[in-house]
Amino acid sequence: MSARDDEIRRVVAELEVHIAEVEANLAALKALMAGGEVPDEEDSSS
Amino acid sequence: MTDVTSEALRRWRQSQGWDVPRMARELRKAARDSGEDVAAHHGLVKMIPQWERGNRAPRERYRLLYLKIFEDMLGGLPHGTDAVDLALRLAEVQARAGRLPGPGEIRMLEAAALATPRQAMTPAEIRALAAEVIAHLHEVAGKLAELSALLGGGEVGEGKP
Repeated sequence: MSARDDEIRRVVAELEVHIAEVEANLAALKALMAGGEVPDEEDSSS
Repeated sequence: MTDVTSEALRRWRQSQGWDVPRMARELRKAARDSGEDVAAHHGLVKMIPQWERGNRAPRERYRLLYLKIFEDMLGGLPHGTDAVDLALRLAEVQARAGRLPGPGEIRMLEAAALATPRQAMTPAEIRALAAEVIAHLHEVAGKLAELSALLGGGEVGEGKP
């Protein structure tokens, strides 16, 4: 692996974190829009 | 020659949102570009699911074609199992990023959530949530630009020729 590949891995990992944040918060917003409860982080049951 | 697993083939195709016939077309196009003969379209449509299930292993020329398509799309990552894994992750993350809504859509969702009578959050919390989503969207855009520069910049690392 080159230094460039390591750098790509780092950026991809950071990108994955930000995308996961957007997806989770987006799901919460959509749940609110639908008039439902926001899923609790510690309670995965729906 | 890089070893491409059946799972890798499936993940790669799906990360691009391609169905099997589209994958067959891409393989035939890559073969045409390099002057190679490959199976007819309908033959590839039968073979691709078999390769992806691991029922059959693609011959080397097909594995090379997959890598060729892969590298063309991802900016020339080097060969190697690690590079294929990285390229798969990259393709997936780019596809996920491409499915995210824009700030305008977030604002519409925020407005709709604020207008919904039964709410689990206060309006201030909803606004903060929407602002957080938009902030992360900006981070995503920034990281995508960083990736684009890395992939297109041609910087040479220690492992590159």
